[in-house]
Amino acid sequence: MIFSTLEHILTHISFSIVSIVITIYLMTLLVHKTIRLHDSSEKGMIATFFCITGLLVTRWIYSEHFPLSDLYESLIFLSWGFSIIHMVPKIWNHKNNLSAITAPSTIFTQGFATSGLLTEMHQSTILVPALQSQWLMMHVSMMILSYAALLCGSLLSVSLLVITFRKSLGVFGKNNHSLIGLFSFDFDEIQYVNKRSNALLNNSLVSFRNYHRYQLIQQLDRWSYRVISLGFIFLTVGILSGAVWANEAWGSYWNWDPKETWAFITWTIFAIYLHIRTNQNFQSTNSAIVASMGFLIIWVCYFGVNLLGIGLHSYGSFTLAS
Amino acid sequence: MSHVQSQILPLNLKPYPLIHNSRILGVYSNNKARTFSFNLTCKLNTVKGGKTIKEKSGSVPGNDGAPPIVEMEEGSRGNDGKKVEKLKNSGVGFGLLKKFPRKVLGILSNLPLAIAEMFAVAALMALGTFIDQGEAPDYYFQKFPEDHPPLGFFTWRWVLTLGFDHMFSSPVFLGTLALLGASLVACTYTTQIPLVKVARRWSFLQSADIIRKQEYADTLPRASVKDLGVILMGAGYEVFSKGPALYAFKGLAGRFAPIGVHLSLLLVMSGGTLSAVGSFRGAVTVPQGLSFVAGDVLAPFGFLSTPSDAFSTEIRVNRFTMDYYDSGEVAQYHTDLSLFDLNGKEVMRKTISVNDPLRYGGITIYQTDWSISALQVLKDGEGPFNLAMAPLQMNGGDKKLFGTFLPVGDDNSPNVKGISMLARDLQSIILYDKEGKFAGVRRPNSKLPIEIDGTKIVIEDAIGSSGLDLKTDPGVPIVYAGFGALMLTTCISYLSHTQLWALQDGTSVVVGGKTNRAKGEFPGTINRLLDQVPELVESSSPKET
Repeated sequence: MIFSTLEHILTHISFSIVSIVITIYLMTLLVHKTIRLHDSSEKGMIATFFCITGLLVTRWIYSEHFPLSDLYESLIFLSWGFSIIHMVPKIWNHKNNLSAITAPSTIFTQGFATSGLLTEMHQSTILVPALQSQWLMMHVSMMILSYAALLCGSLLSVSLLVITFRKSLGVFGKNNHSLIGLFSFDFDEIQYVNKRSNALLNNSLVSFRNYHRYQLIQQLDRWSYRVISLGFIFLTVGILSGAVWANEAWGSYWNWDPKETWAFITWTIFAIYLHIRTNQNFQSTNSAIVASMGFLIIWVCYFGVNLLGIGLHSYGSFTLAS
Repeated sequence: MSHVQSQILPLNLKPYPLIHNSRILGVYSNNKARTFSFNLTCKLNTVKGGKTIKEKSGSVPGNDGAPPIVEMEEGSRGNDGKKVEKLKNSGVGFGLLKKFPRKVLGILSNLPLAIAEMFAVAALMALGTFIDQGEAPDYYFQKFPEDHPPLGFFTWRWVLTLGFDHMFSSPVFLGTLALLGASLVACTYTTQIPLVKVARRWSFLQSADIIRKQEYADTLPRASVKDLGVILMGAGYEVFSKGPALYAFKGLAGRFAPIGVHLSLLLVMSGGTLSAVGSFRGAVTVPQGLSFVAGDVLAPFGFLSTPSDAFSTEIRVNRFTMDYYDSGEVAQYHTDLSLFDLNGKEVMRKTISVNDPLRYGGITIYQTDWSISALQVLKDGEGPFNLAMAPLQMNGGDKKLFGTFLPVGDDNSPNVKGISMLARDLQSIILYDKEGKFAGVRRPNSKLPIEIDGTKIVIEDAIGSSGLDLKTDPGVPIVYAGFGALMLTTCISYLSHTQLWALQDGTSVVVGGKTNRAKGEFPGTINRLLDQVPELVESSSPKET
């Protein structure tokens, strides 16, 4: 009982802190950059990180197995992954635009996980025999971390595309921004990056305008490459450890199970991305387009296959409550 | 001349070398990139001799003469390997056209082709998950009818002709995979291995101008190249110096690792092929206490499958048990197996469970399934009788249900009545009387009798059968080796190969560098290193003016 209360408290604290952080981000954007506020938002993200960590640890102790056995837990873990990706570059003091992607991503996954849509799943469940293995920890945590990193990286690419796209269309009214922002939450983040670039541009000379934009695009390009490569490593390790596990549990290291197949498709798409990057003749928009395809494919792999509830990976499946 | 100058000038204002901007421009539109390349061309010519400029600039729009120079420029600032590779590729394309294998190699190692192949594989796999696999033809006749097919053209003829009903073993898919494998080999041979030769060569740059043209460049006033060398060494660089020149690199493994990735992918592919053609598989459900011979169950999977000595092993299921959670859900299945050789000697004994298979002589035995084979029942103190249990069809859900029937009264009457017994697992048996009314629940081994319609029944035991999967797979060691190598090399591939050049130019040191992956962090990291270089207060350099 005490565990579930603790879990409840931690969930709500982390969610509200992330909301506050987002608000602060927006405020620093709209008003001038106030260093103090920015600092507090950073602290907020750290607090969120610890809350989610606490949440996972609580669940671990409570359920006596690694907290990655169903979709709810994996979503929490995903937002934990986002907050890690948010924090790691901060440790090395790298300035980048990642926080524009990671903070909203954390709030959306956290929000989705705690929303009423999946309330029945909050109860921690027992492990079916096939999941009782040491591989669970390695395989699933690697997969979710790779999803987190790849989602971040491909979102950076999506924002790169949007900025490039805007440029080729010429002047784009601010009204359109909010329109795009309404479409989906992904665009919300892009809009944020855009605004940031606008803030950068507003007080600079016209001749420097393009230069700053180029620099922003180049930064986005480089960081998305870096984050995607990292996610690719996680994905490779995750898929391979899954294959080894499957050879222990199901009798074959590869079964062409839908989830496996989609993970392999994701892997292939990001392999294409990395190959396009090796060739300097291809423009960075090309690789960004591939990464944006990858963004959709990750979601198919993560949710789509589970929604259908087919194949051997049916542990994470859920039914939409009506 | 002045025209050219005015175009170059704004660029010189920018802190970063020219290359940056040309790439940035390249992002936007071909048009701008072209004009910019053209500037570079002019500049190159200016260095050589100013008089040709007008001519060149006049002929540039739509001129094919410009691109090679641009490419050279790219090659020299990108990585040296690329340039060599390009030259080599063009050599393959033009010089050795008659040599067929070389030409094929050249085509296969083409990057756009490889990317197209990867897209094709991905698309086929996606299609394979959308089309239900392994159904009877009738299913596809219904799902992809000819009168109104999905997407307007995708009829069952497409599905069945192309073998998409079994996508992952269809010739189309395997062919694409094989092509991709061929591309992998070709690319490793023609592109990556020459790259090693180039990357291993380390070179000093003797001109400050060339160093300043690197992706990153900086000048340290009043510094010594030797101090820089020491600091770089401290940061884990390999440092070489010759006179005033210094060359340092780090993370060379990161440049070679992609070759390892490709090779280990090939290893995995060949292991997978071996698995596909050389393995045996079989599944069997064995009631507790019975035994079977491995070779009877295992069926060859491919044309290279050859049985081994271990196939004569007799396997006995000593005991099948299930663990339960407090809530009654099944926690784990265990089967106690004994293996006997031809002489009847026990060679191995192990209790297997899900995630813990038995391996003997190349055969792996997995716990995959279960059922209840029989109930041992005492009827009015007589028996025990073995009542065979049959699986009952459940509508929906993956829970199993088994049932049996104990006739009561006259066995020969046309509508025989009796006691029904149902079981979900080995834990408890639910009994129903003649009318089908619930009578009670008994646990096996409890010895607690239950009286139904005047018949006293004791359930002695519930006998489970263990569902076992057997396989031999000669490909597994190769595949695992490939997996290990792939994990390792993929991780190493994250390392960024950084190269730094420095030159003592009077009292100042010109530093330039480039990196192949971590371009975002690179300037910051190098700046932090350069900040550590001590500033020389008094200089005795004779060159100082």
